[in-house]
Amino acid sequence: MNFELSETQSILKDSVERFIGESYSLDKRQSLVKSELGFSQDNWKKMAELGWLSITVPESTGGFGGNQIDSMIMMEEFGKGLVLEPFFISSVVAGQILCDLGNQAQKENWLPRLVSGDCQLTFAYAEEQSRFDLEDVLTRAKPDEEGGFIIDGTKSMVLHAASADAMIVSCRTSGGQYEKNGISLFLVPKDLQGIHIDSFETVDGQRAAEVRFESVRVDMNALLGGEGNAFSTIKRAQQSGILALCAEATGIMESLYKDTASYTQDREQFDRPMSEFQVIQHRLVDMFMEYEQCKSMLLRATLEFVHNPDGSSRSIHALKYLVGKTGKFIGENAIQLHGGMGMTEELNIAHYFKRLLTIDILFGNSDYHLEKFAA
Amino acid sequence: MDINLTQEELSFQAEVKEFLSENAHKPGTDYNEWRLNWFKVAASKGGWDVPKWPEAFGGPGWSPTQHYIWEQETSRAQTPWDLPFGLSMLAPVLMNYGSKEQQNRFLPDIRDRLVNWCQGYSEPNAGSDLANLKTKAALSEDGTHYLVNGTKVWTTLAHIADWMFCLTRTNDTGKKQEGITFLLIPMKQEGIEVKPIITLGGSHSVNMVHITDVKVPVENRIGEENKGWGYAKGLLAHERTGLAGISRSIVALESLKNQAGSVKRGNGSLMDEPTFKLKVAELEADLMAVEYTELRSLANAASGNEPGPESSILKLKGTEIQQRLQRLTMEAGGIYSSAWGMSNVGPSFARSGMSGYLSSRAFTIYGGASEVQKDVVAKNVLGLKK
Repeated sequence: MNFELSETQSILKDSVERFIGESYSLDKRQSLVKSELGFSQDNWKKMAELGWLSITVPESTGGFGGNQIDSMIMMEEFGKGLVLEPFFISSVVAGQILCDLGNQAQKENWLPRLVSGDCQLTFAYAEEQSRFDLEDVLTRAKPDEEGGFIIDGTKSMVLHAASADAMIVSCRTSGGQYEKNGISLFLVPKDLQGIHIDSFETVDGQRAAEVRFESVRVDMNALLGGEGNAFSTIKRAQQSGILALCAEATGIMESLYKDTASYTQDREQFDRPMSEFQVIQHRLVDMFMEYEQCKSMLLRATLEFVHNPDGSSRSIHALKYLVGKTGKFIGENAIQLHGGMGMTEELNIAHYFKRLLTIDILFGNSDYHLEKFAA
Repeated sequence: MDINLTQEELSFQAEVKEFLSENAHKPGTDYNEWRLNWFKVAASKGGWDVPKWPEAFGGPGWSPTQHYIWEQETSRAQTPWDLPFGLSMLAPVLMNYGSKEQQNRFLPDIRDRLVNWCQGYSEPNAGSDLANLKTKAALSEDGTHYLVNGTKVWTTLAHIADWMFCLTRTNDTGKKQEGITFLLIPMKQEGIEVKPIITLGGSHSVNMVHITDVKVPVENRIGEENKGWGYAKGLLAHERTGLAGISRSIVALESLKNQAGSVKRGNGSLMDEPTFKLKVAELEADLMAVEYTELRSLANAASGNEPGPESSILKLKGTEIQQRLQRLTMEAGGIYSSAWGMSNVGPSFARSGMSGYLSSRAFTIYGGASEVQKDVVAKNVLGLKK
């Protein structure tokens, strides 16, 4: 039994840490948030040069052949740095689907550009009525006479849609609204006629969009995998997505409890450091304890996923539940103990908390996963 | 023990309801005109524009039960926006400690909603420990004015205020509380610099205020020099009881249920999902209890007694409930709760979910952080010594 990082893993962690130290001061980050793109193309290129965009891509297709443990290591550090580049949705989620389902031609067409940072993908799965249910799909893809498909419908909260070159879209090719069977995935280039992207900034400073498909015609090559049986792949993408998001959240929570502990040591009220008050000490210990619980659950779910993907779903539900709940607990207390300063945009605290809240609503919130876990 | 309203109280309630419905804002008419007129009509009812002011200063002289009825009815009806700083926070200080001259000078404009006030209390190093404040007021040699220098922070609406009521340090020997002086300072003058602080909900309501070599005439001092802490303390207690917002939370719970009920899940709604439904139920049970805590506190006050131990928990419990309401509203919003500033994405209540929740985190910080409130309860109510 050993939870130590291997040498390669340590090197990866150090290199992400270094990148954040060099490129991610809060000032720099906030100016990226205000830019139109919402992140830095230079950073994105640098991530590609450092090899991070190919880490989870299999060696057979030109990648590094890493696994979920490697993305966990990166995402934890990205969390601490409040990184904005679309690594999560493009590399972890969409890249994973492409590797799982893509045929030779599709992989050759997209993967090299994906790992070189020359293109960026996203995954359009949610719809207004679907809330967190992946199988609730109304967007339709109907076969046309020339062997292609016509897509009609609207996808919600599509992360970084405006800057993506293509999106993987879940569409119903048969079956009723809530059926797991009959869902297909299409890799849709963004510049096709009939695609309308309504982009906006989310609370955490990232970008998302409502994407409307109005009789968008795609050819047969756009279909990823078999027709009507994409649900298990979507589910798997959700699982690796959750693991990555929870790793990011765990990194954030670590920073939050540590930053708060050090703030209470510096800040004096009633002629002594706040950290000398017992009520403050116990609160910090509670934050620390809950953080450690998340860290343990993250390791448990990640290792189970790596060694036995089909048997890991209960742990993944438990993890997302715990991280959502604890994120609010730690975030609320970090703000409370920072007092008025915690309410401003001047410290990392508020930005960390906003990211935690957004992580909770991606791929199902805390309640949703608790119900799945209990079921 | 009787919780029923008396015949007189019932007819008062009917009168209030009638007044509120007759004077509601009519869509399409000018809001500001309606607002100022609303206060005039309320004044003509015999001080309904200043319900909390004592009769001697033109208030209605209501019983605590009448205040409760007013609070309940106005949180359901549409009433014009109003700011507490002049009306509920400074006015009682002026009435109790101000000179006749000061009362005549300031109260009429406060009542007519013509002058905006802000509260200059907190400082970068005086938050929970408010008495630690350092803004210096030095009396001139001829004794005609104070020269004020210092920095105030978290000053709500300082950017639209005409005046600030301000706690300043006039003596730094001895006990911190015994060297504080209460001054009234015009905001629109050289030497006052207001810098916005953007809070995490993305909005601008609080500020940093730098005060540099501002001369304040001694006529603008309330009461005696070095006695300001005593005047302000009464005011803080007043601020705290006003922050529980229980009637408003009852109304907010109803809209939460409606909003969550509008989120379709299969054949039902979000209100049918066990985890969400149970959280709403827990909140409702707590709210039902605290409503009675408020009534007990009120009944106590109505019989002229000192506030009982139950009233000390109102701000603590009331703000906690407000925060839980915001949290559930955010959770009901689902994926759309992080889409702020967008006009056409998802249901409208959902879009402001996260920013509303984030802003609500201040409720347990301002007006005395919950930790400090609990210290006060431990000491004054439970008699526990540190």
